[in-house]
Amino acid sequence: MKSTIRAGRWMLAGALALGVVACGSDAETQDAAPAGDEATAESAAPAEGDAPAAAPAGAGITLAVNPWTGAAVNANVAKVVLESQLGTAVTLTDIDEFATWTGLDDGSIDAVLEVWPSGHAADYESYITGKKSVVDLGPLGPTAKIGWYVPKFVVDEHPELATWEGFKDPELAKLFATAESGDLGQFLMGDPTYVTYDEQIIANLDLPLKYVVGGSEAALLTAIDTAVADKKPVLMQLWKPHWKQLEVELVEVELPAVTPECEASLAAADGAYACDYPADVLYKAANAKLETKNAAAFKFLKAFQLTTEQQSEIAGMVDRDGLTADVAAKQWVEANPDVVAAWLA
Amino acid sequence: MAVVTAPTRSGTELPPWAQRLVVPAAIVAAGLIVSLIVGINVPSWFDNHLQPNVKSLYGWIILNRTENWFFVGVLTPIADALEGCVRFIWWILRSLRWTGVLLLVGLVGWRSGGRNGLLGGVLPMLGIGILGFWDQAMVTLAEMITAIVISLVIGVGLGIWSARSDNVDRVLRPLLDAAQVMPVFCYMGLVTMAFSIGFPPAVAATIIYAVPPAVRLTNHGLRSVPTVMNEVGQSFGADSRQHLLKVQLPIARRTIMLGLNQVIMMAFGIVVIGSLLGTGNDLGGEVLKGLQKQNLGLAFAAGLAIVFAAVALDRISTGERRTARSSAEMPRFALPEGWPTWSPTAIGAGSVVLLALVTKLVGASKFPSAVEIDIQPTITSWVKWVQENLRSGVPIIGGTQPVSDFLVTNALEPLRKFLVWLPWGMVVGVVAAIAYLSRGWRLGVGCAACLVAIATMGTVPGGDDGRTQMWDHAMNTLSQVLVALVLSVIIAVPIGVWAGRSERVNSALRPVLDVFQVMPQFVYLIPVIFMFGPGRSAGVFASIIYAIPPGIRLTALGLKEVPMAPREAAISFGATPRQELFKVQLPLALRSVLLGVNQTILMVLATVIIAALIGGGGLGLVSLGGFQKQQVQIGQGLAAGISIVLLAIVLDRITQAWGSPRSSQQQRGES
Repeated sequence: MKSTIRAGRWMLAGALALGVVACGSDAETQDAAPAGDEATAESAAPAEGDAPAAAPAGAGITLAVNPWTGAAVNANVAKVVLESQLGTAVTLTDIDEFATWTGLDDGSIDAVLEVWPSGHAADYESYITGKKSVVDLGPLGPTAKIGWYVPKFVVDEHPELATWEGFKDPELAKLFATAESGDLGQFLMGDPTYVTYDEQIIANLDLPLKYVVGGSEAALLTAIDTAVADKKPVLMQLWKPHWKQLEVELVEVELPAVTPECEASLAAADGAYACDYPADVLYKAANAKLETKNAAAFKFLKAFQLTTEQQSEIAGMVDRDGLTADVAAKQWVEANPDVVAAWLA
Repeated sequence: MAVVTAPTRSGTELPPWAQRLVVPAAIVAAGLIVSLIVGINVPSWFDNHLQPNVKSLYGWIILNRTENWFFVGVLTPIADALEGCVRFIWWILRSLRWTGVLLLVGLVGWRSGGRNGLLGGVLPMLGIGILGFWDQAMVTLAEMITAIVISLVIGVGLGIWSARSDNVDRVLRPLLDAAQVMPVFCYMGLVTMAFSIGFPPAVAATIIYAVPPAVRLTNHGLRSVPTVMNEVGQSFGADSRQHLLKVQLPIARRTIMLGLNQVIMMAFGIVVIGSLLGTGNDLGGEVLKGLQKQNLGLAFAAGLAIVFAAVALDRISTGERRTARSSAEMPRFALPEGWPTWSPTAIGAGSVVLLALVTKLVGASKFPSAVEIDIQPTITSWVKWVQENLRSGVPIIGGTQPVSDFLVTNALEPLRKFLVWLPWGMVVGVVAAIAYLSRGWRLGVGCAACLVAIATMGTVPGGDDGRTQMWDHAMNTLSQVLVALVLSVIIAVPIGVWAGRSERVNSALRPVLDVFQVMPQFVYLIPVIFMFGPGRSAGVFASIIYAIPPGIRLTALGLKEVPMAPREAAISFGATPRQELFKVQLPLALRSVLLGVNQTILMVLATVIIAALIGGGGLGLVSLGGFQKQQVQIGQGLAAGISIVLLAIVLDRITQAWGSPRSSQQQRGES
């Protein structure tokens, strides 16, 4: 009994106390609230302060940031423009590529600016064409492609390894062997949450390779560096555009051209895929209600596009020069007013 | 056991050791015969069709979750409430500023544990600030406090219920095992379907994971209230409510507090995975960023901040258990006469608020960056050094890469091949025989049933023939667990003996072991991949790091608890210290050591699963697929998750039978 009374008093005192602090801190928490990630964006604070005055504010929106640099670049550039030009408060949410679709479906995420279609055929079908809870905002601009890569010195020594047929030779495949792959050649996959059909391709083309997961994109990059340093062949999944390809010469291994059967297999997810990765025309997607929620933001996101060069430039500022994505985005937006103006036209 | 004591009538008596092996041999033979009849490999008609059923259920949920009454009317309000709780607590913590939070933590710690509680709360919190993660830690704390409070309410409630009904207890037990062992990846997809993204699914997943110890320890605490006390209560005419509230719960309070400690530790174990769901800028997100960018400095520093946050919460909330003093002896303000008893609380709360206001007024709302120490470059440069110098070219052992290759080619791969090669029925038979020898018929039958259930989980894409039996993945995981277990025991027992014989070593090791155990397993994945390269051996080494603490602890504890009498007897018979250790102490401490094996094996399993992220393969990779490609693979993810649970139950029950004559779940993680 006594302890419950004590607890009650604690709470009462606490509630009163918080009321006082809250009154004192209202202003501060108010403008912190819309930008959920204000904690790290110290440099963004001044800009946020005068943003609401610039234009009549629309409803705040949430953009998904998937865990790769390009995604962070797009979202931060869009955020800078939305906040400074349209007065729309933007929350960036770091989230897994697949959980993103759940958020897009129910509106807890308003838009994602870079979807790699090769991995989301099923999502497109369920949410965009089927349920219509998500809408396609059109292409982002860059066309990307996932593929199999080897360092250039491998192809210099063994020209037949420039195509998949070269890997049918067990002796050549063995050049890529590690303890983990035993007698087979090792095929290294990076972040297992990324899209991959490599296991299917290996099995269906009957290649003497073993699929090994490295765990992260950076594991791939480490593997490239070690391979080049030791002149030890390595075969891995990588993609372009990727800044590492500007630094180290890598050769994409030619896989069988994409056939209608392969496309059907992708949609059915039946495990029979045996072709090259299709070219990925990166696209944007939004929750279907965004247009009514904030029409100006919707229009802007639809018009928002970056070329491969522009995206690589900003990604380089992050990956190479060590800027945070929000600082890089701000600098780039300031330096390219005409590009921004075209989005808003 | 039954065989040994059974009277033997026949004239041709077998020697006793052979008699003991008759039944097990028969079990193995039976298993072999069964699989010779139905197929050496798991037959396809075994498939229980769980995978397609889950997949079609999931498809239905996708189409209906934004309209169906259950999702909109029941789950969405729950999600909103969870979101509200987290945001409210986060708002409080931000409003109090770093100064107010520190003072609050100090006061609560002091109130519950005196000087130790105060320091135990404040120092780790300062550590978080110094590491530069104060703001992220406030988000994490808000999530964790919400999850921990709800877990406790649910856990204590279920615990009381299962203490009062054996049937409830029996039903709950396997469910709790499943909740604790099933990798979060397996049900993450379903949790996001139910609670959308952000804080609510992360908190919900945390609760699922953290509730079991609260239920177990409440149940255990209430059941071990001495009968005398129960009778006293009844004789005074207490009704069942009074009896529970006034007699049983107060007596069981300490055990329940131990449950709180476990709930806190468990909950913090989920922080990293929760960040995949978009919880924003919290500590888990920092660890994840470090993992994704291969930045060990960042991942380690953020991991350390998670450890600090867990320790601070633990110390201020369970202070009384530690200091073992009744609240009457707790330090108090000397009240001036005539002041009401609640005034210390009011003064405390008032001063917290005042400090927060002052902090705001002087403009020091941010944790002072002047005292922040960036340990990230240091750690990164260590890693670089290790990578450049230990990977190869080390005399004798050759370096970490050759060690890793050796482990794969000579232990992991042959063992996996052997287990896959064995007729599945024979594996079931061998395990059942071991279970029978350990605890008798019931355990043998139970373990056999669990393994057969794994065999019915069907196939998943991948492998040489396009599809692989879940069974083969389970054997892959089992081979890794066994190798990691053997290595862990080889490392842990000698260190444990050392710590058990020297108090100085013991107290030096304790904080290190604490950090090892609370540090999210993810953090270990990065250094091992640098040292051993992607693959199974990296996973095995990560699981060893994570799993040796309980082995060391329980070995040391076992040695220390050996009574003085037998040791003195041995010494008086002229035993050398060596003889005393091997002939007296270790045999007497065997139970404790075996209990350590039990703890180790489950932690090894948990890490081997997560090691799928760095090339571990096996069931872990299959369950990971269930999260990544939810629409396509949700069924296989869940099937893999259930297989992991079944495997864990088998491993746990058998090793538990070695460790103690009765259930010792409750001692889990005892420090």
